[in-house]
Amino acid sequence: MRLFHFSLFFLLILCLSSCIEIIDDVTINNDGSGNLKYTINLSASKVKINSILALDSLDGHRVPTKDEIAERISSFQKRLEAKTGISNVLVETNFTDYIFKVHCDFSSIDALQTAIKDVIKEESKEKNLKELDHNWMSWDGNKLVRSVPDITIERAKSLKAEDAELLKQGNYTSITRFQRPVDKFDNTNAVLSKNKLAVMVKTNPYALTQDYNLLENTIYLTPTK
Amino acid sequence: MKLYFSILLSILTFSLFAQVSEQLIPKDAVTVFSLNNIQLLQKVSLDDLVKYEFMAEVQQELFDGSTSGKTLKDSGMDFDQKLNVFYGKGDEYEVSGFTFGIKDKKKLFEVFDDFEKAESPYPGTELYVSFFNNLIIKGNSGLLIRVDPTMEKIDELTDSIWYARGNENPWMDDYYFDETESVEEMGDETLYEEEIEEDGTVTRYYSADDNNPNRKNYFELRDSVLTVYQSKYFYDVCDELFVKNYNLMQHDLRFTEQIAHASEGIFYLDNSRSLQKAQNLWYIQTMFPSLYKDIKELYTGNVILGDLFLKESSVEFHIEARYGEALGTIYQKMNDTKFDNNTLKYIHKDNSAFFTYNVNLREAYEQAYKVIVPLLSDEKSLQVSYNLLLLELLNEYINKDALFSTYKGSMFGTFNGIKKIKTRKIEFVYDEETFEYQEVEVEAEEDMPIFTVGFSTDRGDIPEKVLKHLSRLTSRFKNMGTYWIYEEAVLDAAPLYMIHNNGLFIFTNDMDLAVNHADGYGKDAMKGKMRKKVKKSGFMYSSIDWGTTIDKFPRDFFNAEQNEILDAMRGKTGTMELTSTKTTTEKTNFKLVYDFSGQTSDATGKYLLDLINSVYVISR
Repeated sequence: MRLFHFSLFFLLILCLSSCIEIIDDVTINNDGSGNLKYTINLSASKVKINSILALDSLDGHRVPTKDEIAERISSFQKRLEAKTGISNVLVETNFTDYIFKVHCDFSSIDALQTAIKDVIKEESKEKNLKELDHNWMSWDGNKLVRSVPDITIERAKSLKAEDAELLKQGNYTSITRFQRPVDKFDNTNAVLSKNKLAVMVKTNPYALTQDYNLLENTIYLTPTK
Repeated sequence: MKLYFSILLSILTFSLFAQVSEQLIPKDAVTVFSLNNIQLLQKVSLDDLVKYEFMAEVQQELFDGSTSGKTLKDSGMDFDQKLNVFYGKGDEYEVSGFTFGIKDKKKLFEVFDDFEKAESPYPGTELYVSFFNNLIIKGNSGLLIRVDPTMEKIDELTDSIWYARGNENPWMDDYYFDETESVEEMGDETLYEEEIEEDGTVTRYYSADDNNPNRKNYFELRDSVLTVYQSKYFYDVCDELFVKNYNLMQHDLRFTEQIAHASEGIFYLDNSRSLQKAQNLWYIQTMFPSLYKDIKELYTGNVILGDLFLKESSVEFHIEARYGEALGTIYQKMNDTKFDNNTLKYIHKDNSAFFTYNVNLREAYEQAYKVIVPLLSDEKSLQVSYNLLLLELLNEYINKDALFSTYKGSMFGTFNGIKKIKTRKIEFVYDEETFEYQEVEVEAEEDMPIFTVGFSTDRGDIPEKVLKHLSRLTSRFKNMGTYWIYEEAVLDAAPLYMIHNNGLFIFTNDMDLAVNHADGYGKDAMKGKMRKKVKKSGFMYSSIDWGTTIDKFPRDFFNAEQNEILDAMRGKTGTMELTSTKTTTEKTNFKLVYDFSGQTSDATGKYLLDLINSVYVISR
């Protein structure tokens, strides 16, 4: 999941360098199936994005049109739909406020990870992404482990100072939901919902580039009866 | 007495026959920048010099590692001669390069280390060649030149040879090319058969012409044509310069006059010859050649001449735009108008960047109609006749009084810095019980450059009428009494305000101007010396305070070309002011003053180059 976040994340940083809000919301059922909701909110940078989109190129890079962006998102959706274990792929694009949402159901964590890795391989120009060797989520029925590959942390360090400054203004929210109550979790920055069925970690994208442990977490669920 | 005559003769001989750099500028040059006072540039590093756009045409492999850490002073150049940068594009080829004085040839070739000596066909000259450029030295002057045939010409010639050889359309396969299939086919095919003669000579018979390695494909043929014509045109240009001794100075006396000026630098742009560079005229040139000829005639005598003067803390650029009588009458009528004092009410006394533009569109239209309609009438083309009929009918039926009273032509614009503007954004609000979330629209603030543009009008009721109807169609248009607001108009995010007052119709994204100063800035409006200067300046005036303006311009709001100009000026301080004189039927004069008070004298050369670069980027 982190890899998916960061591919999009870096793309956006490079293209927009704007104030950004990301919500990654994963629900895991007792049988390991679940759904993923991923939201990117750029509404706080509407003026900047519109001004960039009005240009042909910026700093030597061609600026894509709204139609091209929509086409790319649609291609992503089609590729994801075609993957084994993935269903109900929905993509919402709001080009007025620049909010993009992806939702999909998955049959297992492994199916989700494989599907995302495959889509990234198909879409990315970079062929040897080392992050793809890493499994960033594992589930044994009672315990969920989320981790981040070291290589992504190294890439994040190469961010320019001005980009880093903009990222500090952003928000990154990671929510993991379950069908039965959470017993305990390792990450001290995480908070538990009152109904004890969801764990949330809130940070900003910049902090995340500096310390990936902010999102690393092992969540233990109460035993099934 | 004998000795006296000998000395006199020697001086005469030297002054008559000594080669100076400007005499090596080919007549095909359409734009020339000539620097008299290149002493100033001695401290400019070569690496910095080649970064300028005006050097881009010739710098490709001219300056490389060998220039690292060197300045112009180390390049062996003669600072007592002019440095002339030129560019020109004709129907068949384009030339670019520069001419300069040479003091130390050894040092020169430490910089131009990619050049190899070749045999020069011109007596008294030395020829050096590199992959792209040619360097010709005559006496103590050098001509670094690149001559490239136009691609239109090369394509035309290549196509002609290609089809004359009985070939098919070279692009035919592009539409249904199947890579795999072709490779497989090629694999089984016999390329050629060999026959060995008794004397041991091998003759190869190719199964198809396409397989013959001695037969050029389309691209190889095009490269050959390009190489041949590159050489042909290069020698055509050189023949004119070194055999006929015919250069730009002989070709255009206006240039000869200009280059004799005792200024630090001069600028020459022959607009009548650069006409064919204009891409939008290509269609007219092809489809209506006689109309194109008439348009060219209209532009005869259209030339821009400029002088650069270096003062203690400023660079002054005096520009003279000359034109032929026909165009001159249009320009004169266009600029024959009184200054609209009301515009100054909306320019704040502390404003750091603004312009005023004062023209009479009605008069310009009537005069242009008189000049252009006869040209179109002579053209025997159905399409032109149809357009002419349409033009004449519109001229009869349209209420020109209403049209030109609504938009008279005079206008002003200001940049009011970067301000926070109110926008809306979406936030996600979380339920503590479940961490479910929902979207909520909240107020936000974003940075935006604030611009104001206004034009003079006697019929403000007409745009008001349009706005009234628009407000019925959408709630985004609202009448706020003293101004109108159009919500989310600027970049789909910020409101645009429209003010109709004092005989002006103003568009702005400055809320403060619309809400608090719809009647003008009152006592805070521009006044005194500046006000007088603006009113006195012909048809246009503009002023920019670099220190407070340029660094604030966000890159995202400008295209690549505009950013090039802005980048050259970023980080600098000082003011730039453009004024114009009254327009006559022959010419209009402009004066651009770049005042950089407070900077060290060392910076003068750099400032000068920045200014030249900006003018070059704008003029090309």
